[in-house]
Amino acid sequence: MNKELIRHLIKEINIMASKEIKIMEVCGTHTQMISKLGIRSVLSPNIKLLSGPGCPVCVTEEKYIDTAIEMLNNYDVTIATFGDLLRVKGTKNCLLDKKSRGKNVIIVHSPLDLINIAKDDKKRKIIFLGVGFETTAPIIALTIRTAFEKEINNLFFLTSIKLMSPILHYILKQPENQIQGLICPGHVASIKGASYFEFIAEDYNIPAAVCGFEALDILGGIHYLVKQIIDNENKSFKNLYKRCVRTQGNPIANHLIEEVFQISHGVWRGIGKVENSFLTIKKKYRNFDADNNFEVKIESQRHISKCACSDILLGNKTPRECELFDRVCNPFSPYGPCMVSTEGACAIAYKYWEEMYNG
Amino acid sequence: MCIAVPGQIIDISNKEATVNIMDVETIVNIQLISEPKVGEYVLVHAGCAIEKLDKVYFNDLSNIFKVFFDKGVSIDE
Ligand code: SF4
Repeated sequence: MNKELIRHLIKEINIMASKEIKIMEVCGTHTQMISKLGIRSVLSPNIKLLSGPGCPVCVTEEKYIDTAIEMLNNYDVTIATFGDLLRVKGTKNCLLDKKSRGKNVIIVHSPLDLINIAKDDKKRKIIFLGVGFETTAPIIALTIRTAFEKEINNLFFLTSIKLMSPILHYILKQPENQIQGLICPGHVASIKGASYFEFIAEDYNIPAAVCGFEALDILGGIHYLVKQIIDNENKSFKNLYKRCVRTQGNPIANHLIEEVFQISHGVWRGIGKVENSFLTIKKKYRNFDADNNFEVKIESQRHISKCACSDILLGNKTPRECELFDRVCNPFSPYGPCMVSTEGACAIAYKYWEEMYNG
Repeated sequence: MCIAVPGQIIDISNKEATVNIMDVETIVNIQLISEPKVGEYVLVHAGCAIEKLDKVYFNDLSNIFKVFFDKGVSIDE
């Protein structure tokens, strides 16, 4: 760790921060590193670092979980999922409740593992819960294409794959939005390319940076953003992470996404419908779409809750500003989705028990 | 679940590689990267190599994961 440089950056940021500055980061790894390294504690309380909607589990709609549970209830199927999703509640239950009552729910660390599982037991119908952002989308696409090529007909996908740029447009268009700078998600940028985030400065005149995950990277990113915010000049975008993120991203992954998925509207938990923000399975691969094979009827219910996740995801509140934080809601008994995933803003705030600035 | 971890390719067999991820050998799909070679560094997410890394970045990322497991680390000396 270059301590001299780090000290210098902290000092400069704090001198510049003579008024309140709100910066959003949209990547679970950034959120974790900011808390783990205690970055908030060394910066002026005027620097407000907010976590955006970058945790896929936190933005998975109740109806999606309800649909998976209904498929389990009504059909002889196995649900395969990433472990993080198990404890996310639908309107009433979570998948872990079903698993503990003997339903077939398995955890996989990669959807690609399911190709062999499905091949080895052709009678077993498996539904993979495909959630994620652009980083996970090509892997789900690869699994679907592989299943197609291998003519596997007992593997299905219930997808809720979301896109980062439409949700950022949505947040930045909110009239109450006060975000003045954005730290862009590095792993999404590795797939989509740094140019994917240029619109933030171009369309909204808000500075944005793709930055790495070390203390120096994050502080360098904050320094770059704060300087532009206070200078009040034309705001720009910069890829400060060139050693990993290319301007155009990963062409193989992007080609695969385009081949298997199409862009659709979709509902984000706590946020609502966001246009063109989902990837859904194209017609060519519809035999693998669980929605086409297992009909269930789920009403979308308006979920009234004191959970402040929606405000947290939009950058309007911090975890500690939720009245349930640590009173009713903690990682052992999560009330809302931001406390479930290790990448959720509330779980991270709880784990590191940091003073969330003046929150 | 969005986490991506750094690893080094130690063997390649068709569409898969054996990758050393933090001293654990793991089988990883390599169809999303072009012309992977033994010895190269990759970023692994959900069982798939999603990008090649240079050595400097590999070291950076490896340190970050050490930080995750090291309880005492803070930039506030
Ligand atoms: S503390 Fe719990 S209830 Fe409050 S916003 Fe976070 S997840 Fe929701």
